[in-house]
Amino acid sequence: MAIAPSEVVTLTRPPMNALESVYIPEVLRGFGTTVRHFFTSFGQSKIPVIGASKTTRAMQYPEERREDMPVLDGGMEKSNFRGVHRLNRDEQGRVKCVACMMCPTLCPARCIHIVAGEAPWEDREKYPVKFEIDELRCIFCGMCEEACPVDAIELTPEYDVVGLSRQEMVFDKEKLLSVYDLTISAKPM
Amino acid sequence: MLDAVLDRIFPLSPQVFVGIITGVVALNAIVGTIPLLIYFERKISAYIQDRLGPNRVGFDLGLPILQKLFRGFGFWGLGQSAADGLKFVLKEDFTPRGADKFLFSLAPAAAVVPAMIGWAVIPWGGALEVGSIVLGGRELVAAGTVQVMAANINAGFMYLLAIAALGVYGVTLGGWASNNKFSFLGGLRASAGMISYEIPMGLSILVIVLMAGSVRPTSIVEQQIGDGAVWFILAHPLAALLMYTCILAECNRAPFDNAEAEQELVGGFHTEYSAMRFALFFLAEYTHMIAGSAFFVMLFLGGYHLPGVALTTPEETGLLAVLAKFVVFFTKVVLSICFMMLVRWTIPRIRYDQVLKLAWQTLIPVSMVLVVSTSVMVYLGRTLWWQTAVMNLALSLALMVIWPYLPRADVNRRVPLAGSRFSPLPGEAVRTGVSNPVALTDNPMPDKNQGLVSVH
Repeated sequence: MAIAPSEVVTLTRPPMNALESVYIPEVLRGFGTTVRHFFTSFGQSKIPVIGASKTTRAMQYPEERREDMPVLDGGMEKSNFRGVHRLNRDEQGRVKCVACMMCPTLCPARCIHIVAGEAPWEDREKYPVKFEIDELRCIFCGMCEEACPVDAIELTPEYDVVGLSRQEMVFDKEKLLSVYDLTISAKPM
Repeated sequence: MLDAVLDRIFPLSPQVFVGIITGVVALNAIVGTIPLLIYFERKISAYIQDRLGPNRVGFDLGLPILQKLFRGFGFWGLGQSAADGLKFVLKEDFTPRGADKFLFSLAPAAAVVPAMIGWAVIPWGGALEVGSIVLGGRELVAAGTVQVMAANINAGFMYLLAIAALGVYGVTLGGWASNNKFSFLGGLRASAGMISYEIPMGLSILVIVLMAGSVRPTSIVEQQIGDGAVWFILAHPLAALLMYTCILAECNRAPFDNAEAEQELVGGFHTEYSAMRFALFFLAEYTHMIAGSAFFVMLFLGGYHLPGVALTTPEETGLLAVLAKFVVFFTKVVLSICFMMLVRWTIPRIRYDQVLKLAWQTLIPVSMVLVVSTSVMVYLGRTLWWQTAVMNLALSLALMVIWPYLPRADVNRRVPLAGSRFSPLPGEAVRTGVSNPVALTDNPMPDKNQGLVSVH
C-alpha cells in the first residue's frame, strides 16, 4: 500500500500580502478573535452578560452528563456505547455464559480470564466457575460482545467506574452479574 | 546612654518612615495579588478557549463545618489558588541525586528576591505630606513632604535595570544545579533570551530618559501630568511597543516563554524542582510580571495619574490622594498583566532562533534608530508630544517600507550532513522511493533496483 507519487498532493502556502507581512495588523486581528471568544464565553456561565451569545458550551460533568442530553446535541447513544461489561442472565436468573472461551481467545487486551466447569444444569455442558475481567486492562473494543455465541457478555453504557485498588477493578462473576441487575433497565438485553 | 542612642536614631527622616511602610504594604499587596493573578490567568485562558475554568473550589477545605458555613456560596473557584498553594506546601521537596544542594536551594531565592525588590523605586502614590510623630516628648518622625515609594533614590532607573538583570541568575542557577542537562539547556535558553532583550529595553528606556531629562522615577511620572503633557505612550508609541515586547521577554512570558514552553518541553530550568521551591519560581514569574508592568505603567501610562481626576495629580499630597493614586496605579498594573495574558493566548510561541533573531536583528536596530531620532528631536527642541508621536509613526512606516529591502544574514540555513540519505556524496547511489509507509520500522524496499538514483 505504498503511496504513489501521483497521489501526493503538494500544497503551496499563499504568499503573504503587504499588510500581513507587516505582522502588527494581523496580531491586532488575533487580539480581536481572542477578545471575542473571551466575551462570548461569558454566555455559558450562570451569570448572564447582556449581549453575549453562547459559544460552544463546556459541560459541567458530574452534574451534567452526556447520557441526559439528546443524541443530536452531542448526547450519548446508549444502545451502542461501550462501557463496563456485564454478564447476562437467562430467564431463570442463571448466568447465560457457556464458557466456550471465545471471548478470552479473541480479546486483544487479554483481560478476560475464565475457569470453566461442568454445568450443574441439564441444558448445557459447561458454565464458568470463575469469570474475571480486568477492567484496567480492557480497551473496551467490544470484540467479546461480538464473539459471544449466546449473547452472554455485553458492554453497558456505564463508564464512570472507580476503584481504590487494582484488585478492586478486576470484576469477578458476581460483580459482572450485579452490573447486569443494575443496567438491565437502562439497556435491555 | 539610651538617650544618646535614641537621639542618634530619632527623629527618623520622614522618607525612611514612609518608605518602610510603603515597602511592607506594597510587598504584601503584591504577594497577596499573585494568587488572584493566577486565578485570573486560568479564568481568562479558559474563557478565551471557550472553557469555564476553575469554578468549584471554595474555602471550605472539605471540612463539614465550613461546608455548612459556606453553604450557598460558590466563590466562583476563587479557592483554587489557595488549594494549589496548599498542595505545594504538602508535596515532597525533592532534590535530585548529584545536585549541588546549596545552589539548588539558592536558585529559587535568587529568582524571587530580585523580582521582589525591583519595585522598590516605583512611585506608587506620589507625594505625601507627613506631620511629625511625637511620642513621650521625643520626636520620632520629622515632618516633611515625601514620596510614597520604598526608596526614593535618584538613579531609580539604573537600579531597576540592574535588578531586572539579576533575575537571570536564579534561572541559570536552577538549571545548572539540578544535575540535569536538559534543565541546564533550559536555563541557558532563558538566560540568552533575557540578556538579549535587556538591550532593546534599555534603549527604549533611554528614549524616555532623553525626553524627561531625568532618571528619577518621580519626575518621569510628573512629566506625564499637567498642561500640555500626555502619557508617554502617546508621545512614543513605538518605544512603548518595544518596551512591552521586551518586558514580555524579560518575564519569560509567551510568546517568548521558550525557557519553560509548558506545552512542548518538560519544564525547562525547573524540571527538577518540586513543592515550595517550584512555587517560588512560579511566584518569581508573577512578581516579575508585576514589577515589569509597574515599570511600564510608570514610564508610559502616566503612573498614578488618571486624566480628569484632580485627586491623582502631584499637587495633591493628602492621605486620601495617596490612596487614590495607589489604587489607580495598581489597577493599571493589573490591567497590563491581563493584557499580557491576552497576548499569551493570542500569539503563538515563536521558535527559539526566531526569539533571538527578533531581538538582535529587529528590536535592537529599531530601538537604536529610535534613540538617535529622539536625541536629534530633543537637540532641536521639538519635544511636544505630537511631534515625537509623528516622528515615531513616520519611523515605523519608513521601517516597514524599507525592511524587505534591507540585507540580512541567511539564518536557519540547513547544514547538510554529507553522506546522509538526504545529501549523499557525489556518485553515491541512494534510495529515494517510498518504502511501506505504514511500516513501523524503516524496512528495506522489496525490489532492490526500484527507486535507486545515482547522484552526481
